[in-house]
Amino acid sequence: MDLTLVGQGLLSGVLFGGVYSLMAVGLTLIFGVMRVVNFAHGDMMVWGMYLAWMLATRAGIDPYVGFPVCAAVLFTLGWAVQRGLVHRIVDAPHEMQILLMLGVALVLENAALVAFGPDPQRVRSPLTASTLWLGPLFVDVGRLVTFGVALALTGALWVFLGHTDLGRRIRAASDNPYGALVIGTDVGRVYAIAFGIGAACVGAAGALVSPILPFQPAGGLSLSVASFNIVIIGGMGSLLGAFVGGLLVSVAESLGAVFLAPSMKELVSFSLLIVILLLRPAGLFGRRAA
Amino acid sequence: MTGRRPSSPVSRRTVLRGAAAGAAVLGFPLPLRAQAPVIKIGAVHPVTGPLAEPGQACRLGATMAVEAVNAAGGIKAMGGAKLELIVGDTQTKPDVGRTEAERVINQGAQILMGSFDSGSTAAMVPVAQQRRVPFLVDIAAADPITANVAKAVKEGQQKVQYVYRNFPTGSSFGARAVRYFTEIFAESGVAPKRVVLMYCNDLFGQNAAKGFQAGYAAAKPAWEIVDVIPWPEPPQDLSTEVSRAKAARPDIIAPITRPASAQLLLPELRKQRVEVMGIVGPGSPGLYEAGQLAVLKDDLEYVMSAVPWANFKNPRTQKVAEDYFKRSGGKTFDTNSGYSYDGIFVIADALERAKSADADTVADAIKKTHYTAGLMQYAGPVIFNELGDNPNAVTTMIQILGQKPVAVWPKEAAVQKLVFPRPKR
Repeated sequence: MDLTLVGQGLLSGVLFGGVYSLMAVGLTLIFGVMRVVNFAHGDMMVWGMYLAWMLATRAGIDPYVGFPVCAAVLFTLGWAVQRGLVHRIVDAPHEMQILLMLGVALVLENAALVAFGPDPQRVRSPLTASTLWLGPLFVDVGRLVTFGVALALTGALWVFLGHTDLGRRIRAASDNPYGALVIGTDVGRVYAIAFGIGAACVGAAGALVSPILPFQPAGGLSLSVASFNIVIIGGMGSLLGAFVGGLLVSVAESLGAVFLAPSMKELVSFSLLIVILLLRPAGLFGRRAA
Repeated sequence: MTGRRPSSPVSRRTVLRGAAAGAAVLGFPLPLRAQAPVIKIGAVHPVTGPLAEPGQACRLGATMAVEAVNAAGGIKAMGGAKLELIVGDTQTKPDVGRTEAERVINQGAQILMGSFDSGSTAAMVPVAQQRRVPFLVDIAAADPITANVAKAVKEGQQKVQYVYRNFPTGSSFGARAVRYFTEIFAESGVAPKRVVLMYCNDLFGQNAAKGFQAGYAAAKPAWEIVDVIPWPEPPQDLSTEVSRAKAARPDIIAPITRPASAQLLLPELRKQRVEVMGIVGPGSPGLYEAGQLAVLKDDLEYVMSAVPWANFKNPRTQKVAEDYFKRSGGKTFDTNSGYSYDGIFVIADALERAKSADADTVADAIKKTHYTAGLMQYAGPVIFNELGDNPNAVTTMIQILGQKPVAVWPKEAAVQKLVFPRPKR
């Protein structure tokens, strides 16, 4: 076995893991707070990518600069979806929630198809064109930056949830909505904010990966599935779990491509899912459901 | 004044009678005017989903061809019968392809055409055979699509073959690509030795890769396939695959892509500085379309691909291509739009000879096709062999030169001289 290849696989895996982590953080936040599985997650990410693409092509703003704009737009979208739709089904059985969110996903996907056409797109950024070389190993600068920003954003979210008043309210509403209501928290508003933040995370993730991943309107589903896989491995609702899960899945896929046939790499990540479900049904960092 | 007016000469009955008579006068002549019959063609393509771009190209190509046939007087042998498209969308899912085929037939489609990707097309074949609807495959390369039906008919399990294909088969793609590779390498005089085959691991990609490897094994050329690297389609990341290809020290990368995976693969090859004499595809979408060029720009320059291509030396092709450019918002008339366009004309040609829309008569007429006015690059007239495939549907080696795809090989099809090996960056 070629050691350079293994090293390169490991390095690429870790860097791409940043992308996976950021994707999964938004999903896990929404689930953790509302127990609603956001099936429109991947499609929201695709919209984040298209927003970044519009900023880059119409206004010449690099996605690495413009990602907060995409996050803000997606925050509004998430807020609106929660207030207008999800709000009504927070207490409904899971299958109702899944149907609604699949509906939202279909609308988002086809709206993107109408608005942007079917061609796959990719944003060109000077950062993604450059590479660093560490001896025989290469580092994709775009991915390095994405990795750094993903780390910073997850950290910021951690601090926000743990140490700010609003963050504490979100956690309170997540732990015990009734109790939170009793002590004067506007649970509906907190839910809308949490959904908005979740959507903003995935919007930022979309913008940050738009120079790395080609995207098209139909790409949402595979992104959703990848995110679910990571979140389940990390533990539904756990922020740390989503981050570590993202790295783990990415490294597993990358090394799977080195040691097995590359077409088998998804087998590796989904086998990982099965093993984790067998050994730790709640995921690596998940708490057992009551 | 609420009372009746007995003196009124017009009663309600008279009015009704008059209306009925009027309707009879106005309405009856419509069928009596002997409207030319309409022949409905169900055109099913992936208009949404990951393959929406080529699928929409197919639909536009078919629509333009139907308009052209109708503008030229329809099917003359059937009293100027007009063609009408009933469009379907596979959403790039084989199961939906099947239900869409059922739907368009239920809505009256007498002939089927479709469907671009091999998975959906294979799912439509049983519908065509069971419902006895002639099915002209305009695009789809996997060999079993027609071969399985031909086998069933030969063994007597089914009576009539309704499925015909005017498109190169996966195995012929492979054999011809190997031939072009060998000829181009010999012509260049640099003799590349090490070829790495990379492909998307779906039905199309597997079949194309298998065809290429089979062609290679049969031809025993002077070059060697040193590694074969499939990736799951659609991929999220190809960096490890490219590292692996690089470790094989290739002279040539031979990629079988889809549009999205090409957008990942080509920049990755550049970033990891995989120095090769050329990127030469055995034939796949993603390496020449206008949308891909707009995104990939320099990464596509000098890339070659052996694809079914339009014959731009034909003035009629140029005219249709100009029209297509305008109506598609600036896209090239290419493999997808072109074969769907020709597909409608092959159907129209069969209808002219069948003089009826009866399924068995049409299927028989398609089987006996000898059509010479196609816009694509053929090695001869459009005919169908014992499997139902057109052996004259061939590929052309194209190359991106000056950000435009042009035919470069074989010499009789070449519009420009090929550049190989590619200049060092």
